[in-house]
Amino acid sequence: MANRAEIAVRVCRTLRDMKIASVAVYSEADRGAHHMRAADESVCIGSPAPADSYLNMAALLEAAHATGAEAIHPGYGFLSQSAAFARACKEAGVVFIGPSAESMELLGDKASSRRAAERSGVPIIPGVEGVARVDDALREAGKIGYPVLLKAVGGGGGRGMRRAGDAAELRGAFESARREAETAFGDDRLFLEKLVYPARHVEIQILGDGTDAIAIGERECSLQRRYQKVLEESPCSILSEETRAAMEAAAVALAREARYAGAATVEFLLGPDGGFYFLEVNTRLQVEHPVTEMRSGLDLVRAQIEIAAGGPLPKKPALHGHAIEARLNAEDPYHGYLPQTGNVLLLEWPEGEGVRVDAGIRKGQPIHAHYDSLLAKVIAHGRDREEARRRLIAALESLALLGVTTNQAFLLELLEDRAFATGETFTHTLESREWPGPVTVPDEALLAAAVALLAPPDASRLGRDDADRYSPWLRLGTWGRAFSSNRGPDGNAT
Amino acid sequence: MSRQLVIRWSGKAIEASLSFRGGGVRLKRDAVTIEADYQRNGAVIMLTTGGAAHRAVVAKDARGLWISCRGRTWLLVPEGREGAARGAADAPDEIRAPMTGRVVSVVAGVGMEAKEGDLLLTIEAMKMEFRLIAPEDGTVLEVIGAEGDRVELGQLLVRMKPAAAAGGKS
Repeated sequence: MANRAEIAVRVCRTLRDMKIASVAVYSEADRGAHHMRAADESVCIGSPAPADSYLNMAALLEAAHATGAEAIHPGYGFLSQSAAFARACKEAGVVFIGPSAESMELLGDKASSRRAAERSGVPIIPGVEGVARVDDALREAGKIGYPVLLKAVGGGGGRGMRRAGDAAELRGAFESARREAETAFGDDRLFLEKLVYPARHVEIQILGDGTDAIAIGERECSLQRRYQKVLEESPCSILSEETRAAMEAAAVALAREARYAGAATVEFLLGPDGGFYFLEVNTRLQVEHPVTEMRSGLDLVRAQIEIAAGGPLPKKPALHGHAIEARLNAEDPYHGYLPQTGNVLLLEWPEGEGVRVDAGIRKGQPIHAHYDSLLAKVIAHGRDREEARRRLIAALESLALLGVTTNQAFLLELLEDRAFATGETFTHTLESREWPGPVTVPDEALLAAAVALLAPPDASRLGRDDADRYSPWLRLGTWGRAFSSNRGPDGNAT
Repeated sequence: MSRQLVIRWSGKAIEASLSFRGGGVRLKRDAVTIEADYQRNGAVIMLTTGGAAHRAVVAKDARGLWISCRGRTWLLVPEGREGAARGAADAPDEIRAPMTGRVVSVVAGVGMEAKEGDLLLTIEAMKMEFRLIAPEDGTVLEVIGAEGDRVELGQLLVRMKPAAAAGGKS
């Protein structure tokens, strides 16, 4: 399992179901992390910086050889869309669970995937590939018309992406987009295209076997911040049967054109006129794949593994009900989405009908700045959208994570917001509105603080002349006093 | 016996007076009094107030007291403890790292006359870039971070003398 955190844990779960032995890898920063313990064995592959560990092909292949691993699942991010890694695996005699290097090169690169989409008759947005200098960008943007969007040719996930409403904004955004693309993907080429607005992000899940492909419905992921998805759902609340069928047919045509084997997602922008435009293909498992799994009953990781082992393509499954996923991130949504670090002091995951949690952390684990801020995904399924929404709200309300600031309250705010409740979700919804966050601490939290900090040590045993005297809720320890006497140097854990 | 509770949340001070009796607590805040029964078991605090039951979980670290109740989490800092939780860039002339990460570019140099909003330096963490800008017009006195440096949350990066302090802000 050439990845970390929640996706490594999730893949190991399927491997266990399939009675296949699993090997986790971890960087020195992830020693003792949740994913390291989820596998049958684990191997340290280097120092914390991704380039030295999770992006280190030689170390990963060496770990595969040392443990006798026959196949490598790349997860998402890191090397999951690296054709060079797929090739290196093949040369090393290890099966790469994913498409061939050739399919990946064709579809993973935005420029060539656009040409492949054109050949397959998939509608595309006007734009140009490989803008190298700011002057080229300005000239091309002048031809296409503003607003325009800059994207990294080398990969997805929103890194290296900038929108520009006019020439001045484009001039300002170009360098930072180029640098971010270089940092994230080692490839500073940028792609410039017309911005469709207001747009919904709708993507089709596909599975291919190298010859044929099936589509497994759509996911709408319009709610994004800085081009990172926050809430994802299926079905898209406004998609007509006709448009869905057309999108699925386009995705399948593209998969066949690329002789695609494995799981992929074909992303589209759905415009205000109902027209849809090809965005890109993610030649890997998607973060939000559980949304499709909840509706189809299909285990997409199992399907990936079976296809990689030469097995047949599963039959196109029927889709049931509605599913919504929320991404729990270590970030402060009310202060510029600043990444947050800390130690996980306490964790309580939700349970309940139709609720699934894909977690990548455990209690006591440090959250550091080396990696992505995704901590866990909470997914709820219901007979309809409203039931799924209510279940997800209930699940997030019963989730407790202390020690690291997360976007949990923001997820709840979004799920309860009128725009989401009515399905009025667009790619600009999050960033076009102010989300000031709570203005003060509610009474119950203040009361809890009072009890935690100042309550007399034996309060619950004293003066309660009723059944509470025998209640299991007996106060343990001298917590309040420990806090006030615990004045270590600022910033140091005590 | 009444006790004073002063805590900071998100930079704001919240004051309340408290009295405990048996398994009950009375809290007075902004002239409003709330009474609650409580039970505590380790990290779990059960509160009953006005017929409504609340379940909260609490934990502490060097940054303060963490409380989660109904899916909302609060980091409360008892007054007198000004830890890293207070965050950064409070003083107008000290630009501090808003998170732990790595400096990817430094624009500011000593003596640079920066206008409000000018880019000073860029930090990267969790694969995202953050631009630190001048909070107001002023002169750069000191630049502590260099490209490639690892920086900790709250670490001082740039010191600036505000133009107003230099004399005659119109």
